[in-house]
Amino acid sequence: MSDTFDLLILGSGSTAFAAAIRAADLGARVAMVERRTLGGTCANRGCLPSKNLIEAARIVHEAAHPRYAGLTPATVGVDFGALVAQKDDVVREYRAKKYASVAGGLTDLELVEGDAALVDPHTVQVGDRQVTGDRILVATGSRPTIPLIPGLESVPYLTSDLLDADEGARLTDLPASLVVLGGGYIAVELAQMFSRLGSRVTIVARSGLLSGYEPDLGRTLAEVFTAEGIEVLAGARVDHVRGDARGVELAVEQAGAGRVVPGERLLVATGRTPNTDTLGLERAGVTADGDGFVTVNAQLRTNQPNVWAAGDVIGRQHRSQMATPVGARQGRIVAENAFADAGRRFDGSVIPRAIFTDPPIAVVGETEAEVRARHYPAVAATTPLMYVPRAGAVHRTTGFVKFIASTIDERVLGVHVIGESAPEIIHEAAMAMKFKATLPDFVELIHVYPTMSEALKIGAQAFSRDVTKLSCCAE
Amino acid sequence: MTGPILIDLGVGGMTCDDCAVHVSEALKSVPGVEAATVDLATRSAAVTARPDVDGAALAAAVRSTGQYNVFERRRSAASGE
Repeated sequence: MSDTFDLLILGSGSTAFAAAIRAADLGARVAMVERRTLGGTCANRGCLPSKNLIEAARIVHEAAHPRYAGLTPATVGVDFGALVAQKDDVVREYRAKKYASVAGGLTDLELVEGDAALVDPHTVQVGDRQVTGDRILVATGSRPTIPLIPGLESVPYLTSDLLDADEGARLTDLPASLVVLGGGYIAVELAQMFSRLGSRVTIVARSGLLSGYEPDLGRTLAEVFTAEGIEVLAGARVDHVRGDARGVELAVEQAGAGRVVPGERLLVATGRTPNTDTLGLERAGVTADGDGFVTVNAQLRTNQPNVWAAGDVIGRQHRSQMATPVGARQGRIVAENAFADAGRRFDGSVIPRAIFTDPPIAVVGETEAEVRARHYPAVAATTPLMYVPRAGAVHRTTGFVKFIASTIDERVLGVHVIGESAPEIIHEAAMAMKFKATLPDFVELIHVYPTMSEALKIGAQAFSRDVTKLSCCAE
Repeated sequence: MTGPILIDLGVGGMTCDDCAVHVSEALKSVPGVEAATVDLATRSAAVTARPDVDGAALAAAVRSTGQYNVFERRRSAASGE
């Protein structure tokens, strides 16, 4: 095949594949350049393997803590090596079905293995080969951020890459103890997973858990974690790290006092850094911000007319989020703008997001702080899940739903849930918000009784009624 | 007086020979297009046209079928001119 393509995509994750599939539909000859395993972060070392292992950890925990009087706690043995092996099988099968075979089935798609370096706005050097594209899409994703902490560079540490099935960073032995550095969504998911599988876990977080989200979400999660035996050190600053293959020690300062936090392994989960530093964006004249995120307009075009960027590499511009389905949507938009002059703009105003802890968290729209910051007249109401019949019926009352709504027209601006089934029920809120729903819209919809989705109806009712006095079905 | 030019197009959405005919007819319907050859296998088209025919007009004609897409790859002087 020719080394000149209509679309040259750097990366092979969800963004890249969505762009490739749509561009091929529209008649384009596409090449995709990947330096790691085909499929990107989500399939190989992110959402998919973590959700697999988190569910296994939940089974272990539920058996030991059955919640119901009359059910005897049981111990489920954990063979971590075997658990990891089945996870690897799931990852490989998914990668084969959703990525490799899709790539093989596309007309005029060429996969180029290697590290891509831009030569100019149309050309990329991959090893000895120069590949050119009339249009280029930068979709190289992100990787774990490694903070500048004295000593860290000479200490062995894990990142979320431990989830990978086929790379060297893969973890096959369960650590007896684990120090998790960070308090974001990756840190909390993996901390609880390791704790439930048998590691003694300490979280060391600069602020509280899940900063940037509704504050009560992180506070509730911290209470649950503490009750499960996870030590949460919030507001902690790491002075230095030392250790070797046998164990690590973090010198931590918290509330003016110093202490040493030891662990067999250290997991660094302090955020994500865009994979743009080795691309040579400057040689193509493409602008990035100080953190390396590629600057794009709402149509996802960079300052170079033929170069586009999408997925994790654009960070939070245009209310984007680093998330697999967000990148996939953006990849499709790029293909349609680049080859069908669609003029589509990315709209990130309604993107549901979930954190797969237990209880899980799901959010859509703005936080109360964000609404206040733009001085929009709004009210907020938080309803504990103890007022949701299903939560009480199945002994899952930990959590709440928080609505933020306009005081002008009662339009819902944000919904934030921590509790059973939150990642599923959030879609009702997201769909409603997509159609600019008001609080009465949530109340007027008859919900199935008893479901966790009733939390949305009851949470919306909380603005006008005393939800502690509702009868059956919240009428 | 400038002679005709050759416009190379990528074509999407074709699944059969009839599709190629439909795309070809759409391209030829654009004023200034003298000839259009559509290749199903390579998903491309070659249009001979007056120099003032722009890619957007060709794309609009093909997209208005509701089934196919074209985009301009490059244009050059038609051979023999």
